[in-house]
Amino acid sequence: MGYIVNDCVINIATANGTGSQSANLIILQALFEMGVDVSGKNFFPSNISGLPTWYVIRVSEKGYQAPGDQVNFQILMNKATWEKDIQSVKPGTVIIYNSDVKMPVEREDCIVYPVPMTKLAKKIHPKLAKMIANIIYVGILAELLNFDSEKLELAISKQFLGKEKAIQLNVDAANAGREFFKENFTKEDSYTIEKREKDEDAFLVEGNEAVALGAIYGGVNLLAWYPITPSSSVAESIIEWIPKLRLDENGKSTCAVIQAEDEIAAVGMIVGGGWAGGRAMTATSGPGISLMSEFIGLSYFAEIPCVIWDVNRTGPSTGLPTRTQQGDLSMLYEASHGDTQHIVLIPGTVEECFEHGWKAFDIAEQYQTIVFGFSDLDLGMNKWKATNFEYPPEKMNRGKVVISQEQFDKIQNFGRYRDIDGDGIPYRTLPGSGLAPILYRGTGHDEDGVYSEDPEVYNKMMARLRRKIDGSRTKLPQPVFKNNDAKEIGIIYYGSMQNTIQEIDDILEATGIKISQCRVRSLPLSPEVENFVSEHDLTIVLEINRDAQIYGILRKEIPITLVQKLHSVAYSDGLPPKANVYAEKILKKINEVRE
Amino acid sequence: MSIKLNVIDLPKDDYKGGPSSLCPGCGHDQISNVIIQAAWENGIQPEKIAKMSGIGCSSKTPAYFLGKSHGFNTVHGRMPSVTTGANLINKDLTYIGVSGDGDSASIGIGQFIHAIRRNLNMVYIIENNGVYGLTKGQYSATAEVGSKKKKGEINMSQPIDLCAVALNLGCTFVARSFSGAKKQLKALIKAGLSHKGMAVIDVISPCVTFNNNDESLRSFGYVRGNSNELHVIDYIPQREPVQEVEIPAGNYRDITLHDGSTIRLETIDDTHDPSDLVAALAALHRAEEGQKHVTGLLYFNPNVETTEEQLNLSDTALLNLKENQLRPSKESLIEIIKNKRG
Repeated sequence: MGYIVNDCVINIATANGTGSQSANLIILQALFEMGVDVSGKNFFPSNISGLPTWYVIRVSEKGYQAPGDQVNFQILMNKATWEKDIQSVKPGTVIIYNSDVKMPVEREDCIVYPVPMTKLAKKIHPKLAKMIANIIYVGILAELLNFDSEKLELAISKQFLGKEKAIQLNVDAANAGREFFKENFTKEDSYTIEKREKDEDAFLVEGNEAVALGAIYGGVNLLAWYPITPSSSVAESIIEWIPKLRLDENGKSTCAVIQAEDEIAAVGMIVGGGWAGGRAMTATSGPGISLMSEFIGLSYFAEIPCVIWDVNRTGPSTGLPTRTQQGDLSMLYEASHGDTQHIVLIPGTVEECFEHGWKAFDIAEQYQTIVFGFSDLDLGMNKWKATNFEYPPEKMNRGKVVISQEQFDKIQNFGRYRDIDGDGIPYRTLPGSGLAPILYRGTGHDEDGVYSEDPEVYNKMMARLRRKIDGSRTKLPQPVFKNNDAKEIGIIYYGSMQNTIQEIDDILEATGIKISQCRVRSLPLSPEVENFVSEHDLTIVLEINRDAQIYGILRKEIPITLVQKLHSVAYSDGLPPKANVYAEKILKKINEVRE
Repeated sequence: MSIKLNVIDLPKDDYKGGPSSLCPGCGHDQISNVIIQAAWENGIQPEKIAKMSGIGCSSKTPAYFLGKSHGFNTVHGRMPSVTTGANLINKDLTYIGVSGDGDSASIGIGQFIHAIRRNLNMVYIIENNGVYGLTKGQYSATAEVGSKKKKGEINMSQPIDLCAVALNLGCTFVARSFSGAKKQLKALIKAGLSHKGMAVIDVISPCVTFNNNDESLRSFGYVRGNSNELHVIDYIPQREPVQEVEIPAGNYRDITLHDGSTIRLETIDDTHDPSDLVAALAALHRAEEGQKHVTGLLYFNPNVETTEEQLNLSDTALLNLKENQLRPSKESLIEIIKNKRG
């Protein structure tokens, strides 16, 4: 019988806090070690213990990373969602369940394997049976899908790094699962896993850790933060890496970390740090940005460099704290009252999370303003394949900061807010330098930083600020294009949609539609985006939100003659984007336009 | 005539700021002058001072002193967090924060509390007048129960005593003074500048324009009745600064304010031990019972680690670290990636 090789979806239904996450990561890592293209997504509740959690593993020879549309292997560990999970699977699905739970599974149209996971686990270690029971299903799956034993053991030892006893217990449990399957069942499904030549450069990493490492290599010297899902692991990861990477010769830290009393204080601290000449950052999510808005305006108007990472969760309000979305983008672009405009970096891969992590500081100091990094729960908290983090190729760009009298004397007609070079970016001096001291303020000020309500002064100041930020359009990370020779239908997208776009593209291509891709990587938009729109008959703007946020920005910023070529496909249900959901909406939109 | 110089050979003019735009006779301007005098007398290099403030009448004052120091007039109630960030990047500066009762007791009380909790190394001056001046006379959270606003509503909410709050939070330097008590205030600010850690100085600084008491109301009623009514709210009476007072230790005395109302001040007794937290709190509560104010240094504890000391940061201020100290080596990144690849 011919098997379907390296192409299946495994859904593991468990309860939060039962230790299943280790088991799930072991499956993911084992597949990865076998050289198989795999992605894993955690669908978890806003809860520490007890509520249902699903972990979905997608194995795809084509490298698709979106959650698959149809589950092939369903593992049942959670009584609370038992019936719903059983009902949700299609005929032919393999169901593996813990028979010690004493819950019925009546699906004669499925391949059902009852496994006494708790009993098997108790034999290995009575006290830890609840945790080890999870590893039994790892063993069952491993046997069913023909996992390589060595790679499975390697994955277990990576999960429990250095804890020899735990490694042995878990290896024993996995083997017990394998043996139980061999003795009691026969394989009836048509899926299998084959080893591939592993890309020796590849590794798995979460977006948040990539951002954290980027920040460390970007020379962050002040991290002020307030815990909020899904951004906390950015800060926690920086804290974890400081002892290894950022201690001086006396063992003292070169990066201050402070857990603030709230997001307002966190942003206040980084504005203070940036004002004093530091590389200061915070990490937060949408509710935090809402709270930080007043300071964001101060940073813009008083021209203080600092960096905020927004790991987007589903809004509005408290929203769905453990779900994903691209719902904060338009807020970031124009955050705070009055006329403002901010630079936003939008990584789409974990490599770019690292790159933008360090680059954000250079850009903030170069433009003397707040710079946002925009990630989301999907990119930030799931593990993704990376092949390298490239070391910053250039020295740090500290911008137009004047630190010596000699430098200062060379500047004619210095004024803190005077546009001497014609690029909208003034020179700044730092507190403590004694060079041209001013009282920085969020109130109106003239080119010398002196309080002013003069209409002409205000108008000129605001025009310069706009010119300054506009000047970044060609300097920020530029869009990435793919198949840009088709010229008929273009798709503009950004951020974590990168992980689903190729599958969408392939679905569309199967219907005879060839598309070109344009992945936006920063705001304000590069002029290349406008070119892309003008070169295509019609352009779909694809995003994971309800209100078509980047579509709105495009409509406002591109020439009115091009606006009619733009069509929005925006959808969000809190989950990472599934390819067929978005592909269908794109097809529908194309048909509407063409009618 | 030779110009008088301080210990680092600078004239007092080097510590002055721009002209004030506060109401003529405002107590805040007297405090600014005391800050100038204290910094000059303490011989601190002006460029090594950072002036920090929030929003409000008080928070405008950093423009009026220490013109050679960088300053930051931030957002309402958030001066402590900005000062925290600046302090962590450049611990070598002397931070003087100026705030008001609205800025610190209402919108910013959270940041006031947490900066004290962390023992941030700064002088935190509250110019406390019990009223919102810039928005024309609303109550602040330090206004007494029963005090009457211009329009006649009586304040029913309990006042917050910021010194009591600071003491209960373990603040390492807590003092109360009066804008007219120049000598005492100067001594306290000078001491605060020399203190390593959080020095909270609550300075009673009555508002010459929106004072909340019967006399004041009557005074405004009088003004309203004797001028064009459309202009009543904008009318700023010309007044002399509050008279300077010197109060002998252990005594109290009523001081006549601009509009004829009085404030009762008591200098804390010479026997008060500023290291005795319970005695400091008792002094505040006794004064409250007697409807008096108690001024002077209430509490002082020099032996607590400051924010930056708690964090075990480099001896060099983080601002002055070189690129190779901020950015780890290329080899270290290669090593990380190698380990991740396994």
